Amino acid sequence: MRRFTELLLVIFSWLALLVFAASFLSLFVVLLLRVRGLDTVSLFFGDTPPLDALLHGLPVFDGIYPALLGTVSVVTVAVLCAVLPGVFTGIYLAEFAGPWAHRIVNLLVDVLTGLPSIVVGLAGFSFMVLLHNLFPGAPGPCMAWSALALGFLVLPYLVRTTETALQGIPAELRRTAPALGATKVQNIFFVLLPFRAKDLLGGVILATGRAAEDTAVIMLTGVVASAPGMHSLFKQFEALPFYIYYMSSQYRDLAELQYGFGASVTLLLLCGLFFAAAFLLQSYVSFRFRGSSWLQK
Amino acid sequence: MAAKIMVEQLSFSLGGRELLHDISMEVEENIVCAVTGPSGSGKTTFLSLLNRLSEEEEGGEVCGRIRMVLDGKLADIHRHWNLSMLRRKVAMVFQNPDPLPMSIRRNIAFPLRLRGWKRGRIAERTEEVLRMAYLYDEVKGRLNTDARHLSGGQQQRLCIARALAGDPEILLLDEPTSSLDSEAAGKIETLIEELGKDRTVILVSHHEAQIKRVASRVWRMEDGKLSVVE
Repeated sequence: MRRFTELLLVIFSWLALLVFAASFLSLFVVLLLRVRGLDTVSLFFGDTPPLDALLHGLPVFDGIYPALLGTVSVVTVAVLCAVLPGVFTGIYLAEFAGPWAHRIVNLLVDVLTGLPSIVVGLAGFSFMVLLHNLFPGAPGPCMAWSALALGFLVLPYLVRTTETALQGIPAELRRTAPALGATKVQNIFFVLLPFRAKDLLGGVILATGRAAEDTAVIMLTGVVASAPGMHSLFKQFEALPFYIYYMSSQYRDLAELQYGFGASVTLLLLCGLFFAAAFLLQSYVSFRFRGSSWLQK
Repeated sequence: MAAKIMVEQLSFSLGGRELLHDISMEVEENIVCAVTGPSGSGKTTFLSLLNRLSEEEEGGEVCGRIRMVLDGKLADIHRHWNLSMLRRKVAMVFQNPDPLPMSIRRNIAFPLRLRGWKRGRIAERTEEVLRMAYLYDEVKGRLNTDARHLSGGQQQRLCIARALAGDPEILLLDEPTSSLDSEAAGKIETLIEELGKDRTVILVSHHEAQIKRVASRVWRMEDGKLSVVE
């Protein structure tokens, strides 16, 4: 009976893997079939000459170049905004929080994790309106608001990864630096965090992926269907997720729908690129800590 | 010989359970002394009280007084020394080797960088303490490799070298040879004998023969009580 259960477990594991791989492949195949024959240059730049768009900032009206640029910018700013509060909250939970504070902050982080992104977007929108009423000169919907709201959305990923990474450190390693005269803060920043740098970057990867794919938050705080001009933190912007949503729901002909699919593939590749960059950074950080870093400077 | 460590009516409780009971002892300077006794009798706890590492655990309660002569002055370690400064003067080496997850060079440099030493001085001191720990010749060609790739005995000697890097006045060794083979243990014993010539070393050990070889004075810990072995 026991051997039969074990056999079943193995079969189910393999089946699950096959289903996962098949879903992943079919997604790619469907997307690639839909973008077959699409002119890449016109997908990105429409009628605008690419060099003029890239070098002279000529507005692009029909292509996804502004949306690509908008996504990269908003995700970068959002993750940069969230990294410090996220990591420091994680450090607080793992190293300093008493039982009650731990329970309360944990609850807040859990609530934030489960919060639908549309609610975060709405909260960001309401805050923006409130601030605009109090200070009429305050910026309206723009990339900065979207980035802040997205940063808020991805905060729990960073908190949880940091907390889990620090809590998983063996007790022997924890006491080594204090026994050599390091303070608690020195131990955290010179030993524990670098030791877990790889895991922390894992949290940043998660946060980046989550921020890149979200539509609801940016839809209410700053994204628009067409913003062909120069990019600025305090202007409305285009983004790939919203472009995909807009094209797939409002398309007038099949060519426009194909542009939507083209944007989907681009978003997938962009996420892949983010992950690859983070992976390289992970390997680099891990190598640095083993070999030579602040102690060698 | 002048006293280096004076422990007076020391008791320690953790979570309401008394682990050490009314311990009093005096240790002279520049000797190796040993604390022996059965497992779980409180030897490691006692050792970790001497550099206040026990305070890393929450819920510990200390009664009594520990005074030490550090920097030429006799002072209560709970009142007159902050944790970091005390642990730089009273270094501890644990039962299992615990190299930091970094290169051999950086392991030695770590306590020195905490003290703000410059690179050149660190390099000199690194070589010096590795030689003291009879390790330099074995690792001189691979100082930048991960310290965790060393053998158990080499790791333990590296940990002793690291503890010595900041030139502590008192060295606490918690069963430093228990996880090592006899050859590696022999090297560490020789090192302990050498170290006892110019600093106070307190060694916790199970091995009667080892204690006889290296220690000038011996205490026995049983059920949290310390007694002198004649």
